[in-house]
Amino acid sequence: MTDGALLDVQGLSVRFAMPRRSPFGERLHLEAVRDVSFSLRPGRTLGLVGESGSGKTTTAMAAIRLKPAHAGAVLFEGIDLLGLDAEEMRQRRRHLQVIFQDPYSSLNPRQRVGAIVREPLDLMVADEPASRRDDRVRELFGLVGLRLDQMALFPHQFSGGQRQRISIARALATRPRLIVCDEPVSALDVAIQAQILNLLRRLQESHGLSYLFISHDLGVVQFICDDIAVMYLGQIVEHADRPALFSRPRHPYTAALLAAAPSLARRKSAGYVREAVVRGDPPSPVNIPHGCAFASRCPHTQPRCREERPLLRADAGGAVACHYPLG
Amino acid sequence: MAGPLLSIRDLKVEFATRNGPVTALDGISLDLMPGETLGVVGESGCGKSITALAAMGLIPDPPGRVAGGSILFDGEDITHADAARLRSLRGTEISMIFQEPMTSLNPVFTAGDQIAEAIMLHQKAGRAEAGRMAVELLRTVGIPEPERRARSYPHELSGGMRQRVMIAMAISCRPRVLIADEPTTALDVTVQAQIFDLMRDIQQEFGVAIMLISHDMGAIAEMADQVAVMYAGRVVETGSADAILDDPLHPYTRALIGCIPVLGKAAGLEGRMPPLAEIPGIVPPLHLLGRGCAFADRCPLAFDRCRAERPVLEGRPHRVACFAAEMEAA
Repeated sequence: MTDGALLDVQGLSVRFAMPRRSPFGERLHLEAVRDVSFSLRPGRTLGLVGESGSGKTTTAMAAIRLKPAHAGAVLFEGIDLLGLDAEEMRQRRRHLQVIFQDPYSSLNPRQRVGAIVREPLDLMVADEPASRRDDRVRELFGLVGLRLDQMALFPHQFSGGQRQRISIARALATRPRLIVCDEPVSALDVAIQAQILNLLRRLQESHGLSYLFISHDLGVVQFICDDIAVMYLGQIVEHADRPALFSRPRHPYTAALLAAAPSLARRKSAGYVREAVVRGDPPSPVNIPHGCAFASRCPHTQPRCREERPLLRADAGGAVACHYPLG
Repeated sequence: MAGPLLSIRDLKVEFATRNGPVTALDGISLDLMPGETLGVVGESGCGKSITALAAMGLIPDPPGRVAGGSILFDGEDITHADAARLRSLRGTEISMIFQEPMTSLNPVFTAGDQIAEAIMLHQKAGRAEAGRMAVELLRTVGIPEPERRARSYPHELSGGMRQRVMIAMAISCRPRVLIADEPTTALDVTVQAQIFDLMRDIQQEFGVAIMLISHDMGAIAEMADQVAVMYAGRVVETGSADAILDDPLHPYTRALIGCIPVLGKAAGLEGRMPPLAEIPGIVPPLHLLGRGCAFADRCPLAFDRCRAERPVLEGRPHRVACFAAEMEAA
């Protein structure tokens, strides 16, 4: 669909089966991701933004086949990942790596961190001589700002920020082209968060990496992403490049997210009153409303919104799924 | 001008650990004025939550103990008040909301029953009367269909609604001080915005003074009149929110503000954003703090005196504990 895209996701859907209410009852499905399409160009960062339960992590995990997709296609360098058999997929995995949110639970506590970083090399590029792999591990430790004498330590001997550096070194080991960053800084203090964000961006520039960056923090997204897809209840409601999304949000949900996010400029002393507050919580993804999923919380709802589901359509450089986009 | 409602003076709290006694709070002083919001900001482990617990008389003893200083509520020294006095203060005069509403609500009682329990304990109200008041409180905190929601169990409520129930419980006895320890950290941003708006409405309506503990400078900017910045168990800078945010004096405060990816600034900018400011290193473990300034090892302005001597808060009303800032001002 898009020329020169590294990752091109088309009509991806993910559903989870719910337990039956009774032995003869109908099986209900939770529609976690509904018909999501986006593409990521090499060397760029696409942000997936949304609140908890919006399906941002599920979308990314289904795109790299860590969760089964129900429908759709995921073209990685032109090849549909969803159509590959297990061995072909395993061969591809060296190009697709992940950094997880929680640096405490995503590292094996019984392995020394040198071995943790080396493991992807042993699994994926076992044809390289062992000494080359050792050199690569040392190089990676330098890249992410860890000392070589720390290689023999265990994860619990590191702080949260250092553990996230170990995760990054592990993700870089096989020289991937795409890294899925699943809330990589949410568990960190702001000072450490800044170090990791700067590191991720330096590595992107030096290695030509592409990131699929999942976050709920709009400040972080604004810092690191080139393009942003805003998700709500399993769908992309707005997709635009960074300057457009942050200066001229088109979807009321995007506008509400921007209004809700704390910012240093909004001061109590200046009598700041929030505009565009959304009411209530997101509806359950088991019983998705008939029309626009955001209609129940939207400040601009019209009758049409409750009846007809808006589709994502191109609009002034981006794309928005709203019958009445903002000016 | 009236004096502070809650005044913490040179408070020192120690915890017994394997490494010997560790000073979690090292002589902190804070003033909460009536009807105002004091934002307490800092990274994990800087002593924010211990400050809140100390103000409520809830330091777990052992291993913790108040080793010095005092806590004054409306002029009364409550540092060593007995259990009965503390119990009557908590709930009626000072109440608290916590970070994780799921773990601070009892899962086997309905929301209405839990609010009513607080009312029956602290006010002379019967069960039926307390139940009616609980429904009214749920309405006050903006829960739709309060009669039905009063009969809901915590697991049937969303995170935002649970936090509203916590707030309803906290304001049930019209306290004069509300301590909110990271009340929105577990919530999504649109829900966080609703809770902040609710806290501001409650402050306006009931005139309650709020101590808001947060790691988020943005939340502090939006909510606080006064701000105290904490680092490694000490207050390093205090002043009005505008003074702290627009004219920070302590190198730590400056770095903390500089490393936040600020929303809005340069939003429409084409191309890449400039790199974020970084604070090198990490917060030192409390048992390894030396004699000098706790921030000296990470500070770009540190000089000999910073490592030898501990700076104290100077200046008024914008106070800072830093030798470099003092020289800058002179």
